[in-house]
Amino acid sequence: MPDQSTYIFSMIELNAVTKRYGSLAAVDNVSFSVKAGEYFALLGPNGAGKTTIVKMLLDFTQPTSGSLSINSISSTNAASRAAVGYLAENFHIPPYLSGWQYLQRCAELLNINRSDAREQCRRIVESIGMQGREHTKSGTYSSGMIQRFGLGAALVGKPKLLILDEPVSGLDPIGIREIRQLLESLKNQGMTIFLNSHLLSEVEKICDNAAIINRGKLLVKDKISALVKEGDSLEDVFVRYVKG
Amino acid sequence: MPKAFSSIINIAKYTIADEVRQRSFIVMFVISVIFVFLIRGCYQGNYMINGQDLDAEAIVGTVSKITFHIIAVVVMLIAALLSMRVFKRDRDEGMQSCIFSKPITRKQYITGKILGLWALSSIFMFILHAIIFLTVFIKLNVVMPGYLAASLLCSFNLLFVVIAILLLSLMMPDIAAFLCVMGIAIVSFVADGIFSMSHHPLVHMQSGWTGWEIIYYLWPKISGTQHFASSFIGSEGSQGFLYIYPFINVTIYCLILGVLLFWRFRNEDII
Repeated sequence: MPDQSTYIFSMIELNAVTKRYGSLAAVDNVSFSVKAGEYFALLGPNGAGKTTIVKMLLDFTQPTSGSLSINSISSTNAASRAAVGYLAENFHIPPYLSGWQYLQRCAELLNINRSDAREQCRRIVESIGMQGREHTKSGTYSSGMIQRFGLGAALVGKPKLLILDEPVSGLDPIGIREIRQLLESLKNQGMTIFLNSHLLSEVEKICDNAAIINRGKLLVKDKISALVKEGDSLEDVFVRYVKG
Repeated sequence: MPKAFSSIINIAKYTIADEVRQRSFIVMFVISVIFVFLIRGCYQGNYMINGQDLDAEAIVGTVSKITFHIIAVVVMLIAALLSMRVFKRDRDEGMQSCIFSKPITRKQYITGKILGLWALSSIFMFILHAIIFLTVFIKLNVVMPGYLAASLLCSFNLLFVVIAILLLSLMMPDIAAFLCVMGIAIVSFVADGIFSMSHHPLVHMQSGWTGWEIIYYLWPKISGTQHFASSFIGSEGSQGFLYIYPFINVTIYCLILGVLLFWRFRNEDII
């Protein structure tokens, strides 16, 4: 009888993906896959090509060569984003919208009917701990509050895949802990998470697998438990790989 | 409602809502309405020169036509101002990454933006024209049914301005895109003026098609479309193909620029 993992399909696949800006290779022949239900972290120093990979996954920019897919659908097809929640690095909410209005817009763009949208948004506001502030204009929010609404917006439509680019940037230690707890609770719902983060200690606590890239090249991809040996931390591993 | 269609409608709706929320839009709208209300003094009902009554209806018709043209030009300027910062604002406020992280295609986004801006500027113009229409009706009990039809026809000029600005703002700074499109409009008005002067019976006219004449006919006929629309206000009749040519010209330009806009935005990086 085949192992159960045989049936676990890849939620994300990158095949020999290269992205060039002139002579500079931002991403250089990168291939890897992320299985459904996996908590995956893409690590690398600034300018390593992490955000470029995310942007190619969402078809924000086209690869020079290679292919990417989400849920076995080519990322150039808008349908691949049907079950994706995305939190951008430097996330913004238009200052004239309240957090609630922004969440409602996200729900409308996913064609969720009005009553379901209202119920979903109410639950999301609760889960991100923003009750009582959801109807004030986002211009009055702190960066941490905006980040929470960003994560909330990514959760609208109950996505199967969450792509989070620096989800805890701008948050205080309590906020970071709350977001981590929220992400851990999502794990039980079978959601796949693709995380770009500099906070290696948080990645170590949340994620199962990680890949390290530097100067556009994939250096390693493995289980965090396999990467981090006894007495080491993920930070040590990261520095060792990046500094070569 | 098909999903693609509802996405376009949603984006158009957000475009209108986001523009209307801007303080600059409200200021422009209020100033325009005040300006149009100030014109109501022109519709007194009786006009006299040297103690002789003038044909009030003819004068009202002329005044209404002049205000029709002024409103059309001013709203064209406003449509250009509204359109020039749309992409930049969506990028800066994170709406582009929000929209494109959902299953929405670039074609749907562009179509929604065009529809939103076109609808908003057309409604803006229609309201101002409707104020004139109602003023004439209330003060003089004269109904000008062609006035509102002319306003709707004139909205094709607004569509041209919106698409041209959106396309050019992808290729150059917003202010340069604005100036380019306004330049095209000014050349269209000036060229129409020179052309009608050169075809006046008192002016010697060169026979045959010159290079300038070809450029004149191929140039976006914004002024011509406005004149074509305004002919619905009075009792001017049809004058053959050349009469509706400006309208066809602008429609073809809208189609060509629209295709170029879709093509250009297809490879645009979303930030």
